Amino acid sequence: MSAINFPNENRIITKHLEKPDTHLIGHYESVDGYVAAKRVLNEMSGDGVVDEVKKSNLRGRGGAGFPTGMKWSFMPKDPKDAKGNPKPKYLVCNADEGEPGTFKDSLIMNRFPHMLIEGMIIAGHAIGSEVGYIYVRGEYVKEIISVEKAIDEARAKGYLGKDIFGIKGKNFDIFLYRGAGAYICGEETALLNSLEGKRGEPRLKPPFPAQVGAFGMPSCVNNVETFASVPFIIREGAAKFAAMGTEKAGGTRLFCVSGHVERPGVYELPINVNLLDLIEHCGGVRGGRALKAVIPGGASAPMLTASECNVAMDFDSLAKAGTMAGSGGVIVMDETVCIVEAASILLKFYEHESCGQCSQCREGSHWLARMFHRIENGGGTSADLDFISEICGNMAGQTICAFADAVTGPALSSIKKFRHEFEEHIRLGRCPHKHVLVAQQVEA
Amino acid sequence: MKTELNYQSYKKPVIDTPPATPEAKPTPKITIDGVVIPFQAGDTIMQAAERANAAAEIPRFCYHPGLPIAGTCRMCTVEVEKMPKLMTSCSTPAADGMIVHTQSPKVRKSRTGVMEFLLANHPLDCPVCDKAGECELQDYNFEYGPSTSRFVEEKRVWDDATTKKLSDKVTLNMNRCVHCERCVRFTDEVTKTNDLVMKNRGYKKELSATDEERGLWNDYQGCLTDFCPVGALTFNDFRFHKRVWFLDKKKSICDQCSKGCNIEVHSDQNVVERLMPVFNESVNGHWMCDEGRVSYHTAMNPLRIVSPLLKSKGASKDAALVSTTWEFLFQQLNVVIKSSKKILFIIGTDASCEEAEQVKNWSSKLAGSSVVYFNGVNGVQTSKDDGKLDHLLRMKDKTSNTRGVEALGIQPINPNQVSDADLVIYLRAGRAQLPIEFSSSAPWLLWGVWNLEEVKSVQQKLNVVGLIPGLMTMEKDGSYVNESQLKQTVTTTIQTTGHCLTVNKVIEGLWIK
Repeated sequence: MSAINFPNENRIITKHLEKPDTHLIGHYESVDGYVAAKRVLNEMSGDGVVDEVKKSNLRGRGGAGFPTGMKWSFMPKDPKDAKGNPKPKYLVCNADEGEPGTFKDSLIMNRFPHMLIEGMIIAGHAIGSEVGYIYVRGEYVKEIISVEKAIDEARAKGYLGKDIFGIKGKNFDIFLYRGAGAYICGEETALLNSLEGKRGEPRLKPPFPAQVGAFGMPSCVNNVETFASVPFIIREGAAKFAAMGTEKAGGTRLFCVSGHVERPGVYELPINVNLLDLIEHCGGVRGGRALKAVIPGGASAPMLTASECNVAMDFDSLAKAGTMAGSGGVIVMDETVCIVEAASILLKFYEHESCGQCSQCREGSHWLARMFHRIENGGGTSADLDFISEICGNMAGQTICAFADAVTGPALSSIKKFRHEFEEHIRLGRCPHKHVLVAQQVEA
Repeated sequence: MKTELNYQSYKKPVIDTPPATPEAKPTPKITIDGVVIPFQAGDTIMQAAERANAAAEIPRFCYHPGLPIAGTCRMCTVEVEKMPKLMTSCSTPAADGMIVHTQSPKVRKSRTGVMEFLLANHPLDCPVCDKAGECELQDYNFEYGPSTSRFVEEKRVWDDATTKKLSDKVTLNMNRCVHCERCVRFTDEVTKTNDLVMKNRGYKKELSATDEERGLWNDYQGCLTDFCPVGALTFNDFRFHKRVWFLDKKKSICDQCSKGCNIEVHSDQNVVERLMPVFNESVNGHWMCDEGRVSYHTAMNPLRIVSPLLKSKGASKDAALVSTTWEFLFQQLNVVIKSSKKILFIIGTDASCEEAEQVKNWSSKLAGSSVVYFNGVNGVQTSKDDGKLDHLLRMKDKTSNTRGVEALGIQPINPNQVSDADLVIYLRAGRAQLPIEFSSSAPWLLWGVWNLEEVKSVQQKLNVVGLIPGLMTMEKDGSYVNESQLKQTVTTTIQTTGHCLTVNKVIEGLWIK
């Protein structure tokens, strides 16, 4: 059985997952829903909330792991335009969950939309914003319906709109914006461009969104899971939240485990859970096969080999192991997987999703995808592997956003850690795994 | 004299900087390749370098001084001391005491990388590309690029966009595009017409007209082809007419409206091949309109009349004008001028200040003669009727020197003067329109730049007795006063063909005889 001792009652977001009607406001209020929001609006100042979140060590759940309290504290207090008129501030929720292997935000929006809304109300109070946008990935039709219904319920109760919770002069409303299905729109400045109706292309930074964000106004962009963690911090106290994690990252995390495990799915566990324990928790590797590789934080994270998997899943431990915690999408690959094919598929995704602004990323992602495809299909040469490393070297760290670095993650790590497989492909002039699979099928 | 910029200048990165304190601060300085350069607050490294003319060594594709900053081509990266990564010089704000290296090995390696990426899918067929010789990709590849390509995959090819007409003026070859998006930003921010967009994303990103059926509709399409760093956008009027290294380049001004845009006349063996704008902050910025860009066709028109014409004595009104010599023309005209009591000189407002003055002086020596000016294009009578046609450059007054002629004290035309006169001499440089709405039975002498069709249509209404061929703006020295009262002087850029003479020589010829 599972090596993890983490009782279900300790879960922060998915505590009531087993109940059928968690998406309704009635159920949410019956389990202390909107208590935190009411308390914040009645008793706490914006700075007080920011301090509390800082104390909780909540780190952004979108991928970069930036401390949320610090991000909120970057928002200007009283922004003025050139004429001295006050500027509005915008709160934006990044629900463009595009990272391959990640599906936690979908769960929150489907099952706990009110937790997201309450988190946004609290965050809106903290940064002094009156308008929130939820930018939902276009493919998430069910999630969009669920969140829109929840927004309507909250509006009907007076939790959103004008004079919320009956407090005069306190306004906050949330609008849902549907994306058009671009991976790059998960990058916060590309998301803001898309929200404004422009091409979803990352912006030059500086200025950062805290200065010039949505519609040219100071904006704060956070992930769905980040917002959903906030009500707990206020309700139960920052100390309790911080105690659940490591020194530098508090709380629990939704891990999306997919690939070759017995029970793939979303699991809420302490942020510093060991990767091997996590796989065990999901029923172990499928069919009792041996583990080959794990991508621990969504497709952009460099791969870990089976021997490297004895690592805690928090941000710092994974960074030390040469990869990243990313969005929490854990992709498990067993011994039947051809790493070259897996990398080739990932690179095809990146080739398709590069926004095409920066020269290196646009041409490089295309080039790499073609090379991996060629090697997988037996057309590789021995010079290709070093050449790929050189191309990656010319791409990484030279572009506007981190997309080019994300492309080089799977490309470089797969070659570095599974070089023998690439060499085998080149030597044989074909994919050895496909041959084995066919042979097994014939035997069976 | 400086006028306000009428095009949107580059966008500075918007950072909430505190307002400048009133007390004078020492000018901030930046060190670029060992040279200390003062810069203005808000400059990026590239702008600081350009101000000091040190930017020749910083290669760029997406950066253009007249366009908002994109920072996407990553070609202009430089090494800034104490910064971990290479920085794009076009978008990094300059800071006091910054030390920048534009040619360090790290920088050159990065640029070689960018060149290799850009050339991976770019056709390597410079000899058949119209941009060859003035192609930034070609130039930078000589400087930074790898000499051979390591790209062995199949090249990306747009079959349907290899020669795609974006409009009747501009042709797109998408295979050559390096996705700098100067063109898209130009239509977004300068013309504000948004008639170009990028379709799709990543390596499939394709330039397209926003409305593919309508195509481009802005009036500055030639500019797209000027700043396109590669042969992706080419101007139909010029493409495949001439290899650019044959072109002789001389500065002039455009005479097609009262703006007086600064241009460069590109000619080969006295044949003008194209006009290109030249940067002048107080006149046209970086741009010029398409109407002006193709205006050299007036001078190069094969129907242009380049030898003196005269109607034989006693011929009927409809009789044809016949070619003659200058000597005979002068002889005949002297007779006509001396026998006329009321000569009316009409000066088209596209004549230069000097020409107008010479005609005025001549008129003062002829008893009973008077001088007026006529504009007549777009319903403009005097400079007061002038106005902007759009937010950029185009003006209502389609002649170049209305204000210069007015400054000489010459009055606008009065219909009665035309009917009173017993000889009308009308001088123009090919742009002002003939005042044919005035009824006149007097003999008319046309002077200046005319083509055969124009003369034929004029002859149907007026009694044209002779034609004195004159010179276009680019064929003579002269000064022109533009809409903001700025006097600009140009020199001869091409020699005229045929027997055309300057105004001065014609007056001398007539006076001496």
